[in-house]
Amino acid sequence: MSDGVMAVVKPEMKSYIWLQTADGSIQQVEEEVAMFCPMICREVIAGMGSSKNYAISLPQRVNPAILGLILDYCRFHQVPGHSNKERKTYDEKFIRMDTKKLCELTSAADSLQLKPLVDLTSRALARIIEGKTPEEIRETFHLPDDLTEEEKLEPLRNITDDPRIRLLNRLYARKRKELKEREKLKNVEVEEERVDERSVEDLLTFINGGDGESKGVRSNKSKKKNRRRKDHLKNSSNDINGNHNKELDALSPPFHDGEDSKASPSRTSKLQDSTTVSFSTKLEFDDVDIDDDLDPAMKEELDREVEDFARRLNSDWPERMQEILSLGQERRLVSMSMNGNGSRRYNKYPAAALSGLERC
Amino acid sequence: MGDALDQDLVSDLPQSIIESILTRLPIRDAVRTSILSSKWRYKWASITQLVFDEKCVTLCNDRDLVEKSLIDFITRALFLHKGPIHKFQLSTTYLQCCPDIDQWILFLSRNDIKELVLELGEGEWFRVPACLFYCKRLTRLDLFRCELDPPLTFKGFLCLKSLTLHQVLVAPDVIESLISGCPLLENLSISYFDSLALNIKAPNLKFLFLEGEFKDISLENTPLLVAMSVAMYMTEDIAEHFEQSSSCNFVKFLGGVPRLERLIGHIYFTKYLSIGYDLGNLLITYNYLKVIELNQVSFEDMKEIYVVLRLIMSSPNLGELQISGSSNALVALEAPDLDLWEKQSLLNCTFEKLKLVKMTDMSGVPHEMEFVKFLLSRSPVLETMSIAPCVYVMDGRLNMLIELVRFRRASPRGEIVFIQE
Repeated sequence: MSDGVMAVVKPEMKSYIWLQTADGSIQQVEEEVAMFCPMICREVIAGMGSSKNYAISLPQRVNPAILGLILDYCRFHQVPGHSNKERKTYDEKFIRMDTKKLCELTSAADSLQLKPLVDLTSRALARIIEGKTPEEIRETFHLPDDLTEEEKLEPLRNITDDPRIRLLNRLYARKRKELKEREKLKNVEVEEERVDERSVEDLLTFINGGDGESKGVRSNKSKKKNRRRKDHLKNSSNDINGNHNKELDALSPPFHDGEDSKASPSRTSKLQDSTTVSFSTKLEFDDVDIDDDLDPAMKEELDREVEDFARRLNSDWPERMQEILSLGQERRLVSMSMNGNGSRRYNKYPAAALSGLERC
Repeated sequence: MGDALDQDLVSDLPQSIIESILTRLPIRDAVRTSILSSKWRYKWASITQLVFDEKCVTLCNDRDLVEKSLIDFITRALFLHKGPIHKFQLSTTYLQCCPDIDQWILFLSRNDIKELVLELGEGEWFRVPACLFYCKRLTRLDLFRCELDPPLTFKGFLCLKSLTLHQVLVAPDVIESLISGCPLLENLSISYFDSLALNIKAPNLKFLFLEGEFKDISLENTPLLVAMSVAMYMTEDIAEHFEQSSSCNFVKFLGGVPRLERLIGHIYFTKYLSIGYDLGNLLITYNYLKVIELNQVSFEDMKEIYVVLRLIMSSPNLGELQISGSSNALVALEAPDLDLWEKQSLLNCTFEKLKLVKMTDMSGVPHEMEFVKFLLSRSPVLETMSIAPCVYVMDGRLNMLIELVRFRRASPRGEIVFIQE
């Protein structure tokens, strides 16, 4: 009962029709096969396709190679007598092709209104997508990665009530603020050249900062804060930042003196894990809404981390959800450390910021 | 053409195809496509079929947490969604009665909902909100573990084609008027009802599935019924009710289904049909009936044997017959009325189309063996008669075989397959 037999048995009985693809090429195909496509069927009924001059012009999306595939599909399914299992086996084999071709085929089948083939190929495409990470999907289909990390988070934020996403959004908010701030500072810089110098100084202090010079760092920072506040005062339009600095003044002493008074057990343990963090660093990140002065190195670090964080958020969804859930249960922040052997500071920002969240 | 390898072809597929792809994904994967690229941002948001289950969230031992994240997920997904929602399915044991479901249904009722499936957990049953009854375009309604109490003004779902009520708390008169209030109903499935007396009037009904302790079922107006599967349980109460019943259940149940193609009965179905059975003339011929499956037929009860005989002898196109026995071997060995099998009406009939017979749980009692003998001798095109003895019958197997090989077969091609284990 193979197709070959059919072809031998009734070659003369077959009638042919003419089809023209968008590239202009015209070919002759068995009418009964082509009629399997509703779009072609309609044209034939309307009297088209009977001769080369009246070839049925196919939609743009059907190129000759794909038309060949579609006709193969029709040729098999138009023959009665195949069992469901045979049809299924044929279909399974038929859709074994690269994703590019599969997309073209889907599109072409759609334009020919060949619904069973559209269903088959959509199912195949869905199977390709299912269970893959966004990166893998992008790679498979050559999708441009043209969303900002923040945009990527937005739907996640809406869909899941993930404390880490809240944290990230706060970090982003701070980043935005920081950028604005920088813009403003730039304007100031035109008048005050020293500003830039100081930030370089800060940068140097920061780089050398890890080795217990917390006092020096702190004083440096507070100096910077004072200067910055002056800047804000100069820049009288910025009420919000002024308020923030007032708040900062109100809030900073406990952090400087002893964070134990405020620390929850988990926070304490976290801090013990990370004894080398200078308190000033902690101060910087303890309350995201308040502090808005970051030096560029830290900012860079932060950006990198935020991006990395976002990437992880997108990539390991199930494990991450598991983490979040266990996080929600036990209120433990240990799982936040993202890679075991990563730089210490790497771990600390979210931990500190999260403990801030926890307090909220 | 550009570098063909790097072309993003999938994003430019028509939205209808994208939707058909996304609809085939678990909703969690579908929602995640919004972070693929700017083109994919809102593509998922207009899919018209939303199917939620606990796979939407990560499971853990904390039920409350799972419940909360599931509710959050669904609420937010609905908020992000745009356009009509034709199908909404919620299948999870994590949710029971919670006010959020009411809100979702209200939301759905304003978004052109056509298919609604609510499969909820045990515990406190969800009371279906009144707004559901104003979803005029519903074509499919599946409710599991819900409480149904339509408002007084409710007249029916004019477009409903499929109704499933599984463990649903509803008054019998309400269920009756609900069924008759859906003139297009084709598919009816009712399960886990206790002592329900039901009069089904559904002129377009094609498929019927019943399971439960039914007291009295009458198919009053179901002329188009094509297939039915019925599982009847029996309690003392119902058995007593049956004893006193004077009406003929066979006629009430199968008297008005001339187009039946497939009949499947479980547990006490055959017994139920035998209640009030009279040996009057056959009123109906099942010209379309091709498959009969009757489980737990008691071959010690002459009335049940009559039911089986009447059914198969009124089905000239029967192709496949499956019967499982439930004889109490001790009683049935005595087997009176064996002369039944010599009756002229039986000797005159032939099963012209019967190809496959499966007898399972056979205990080899006289009436069973006579029944097999009868089928073998009256089925000229029979291909397979498979016989599987009941697990408790050990000693009798050889005797069964000896008896079987002696039976005359009307079909030259017919084979007997004796299945052990």
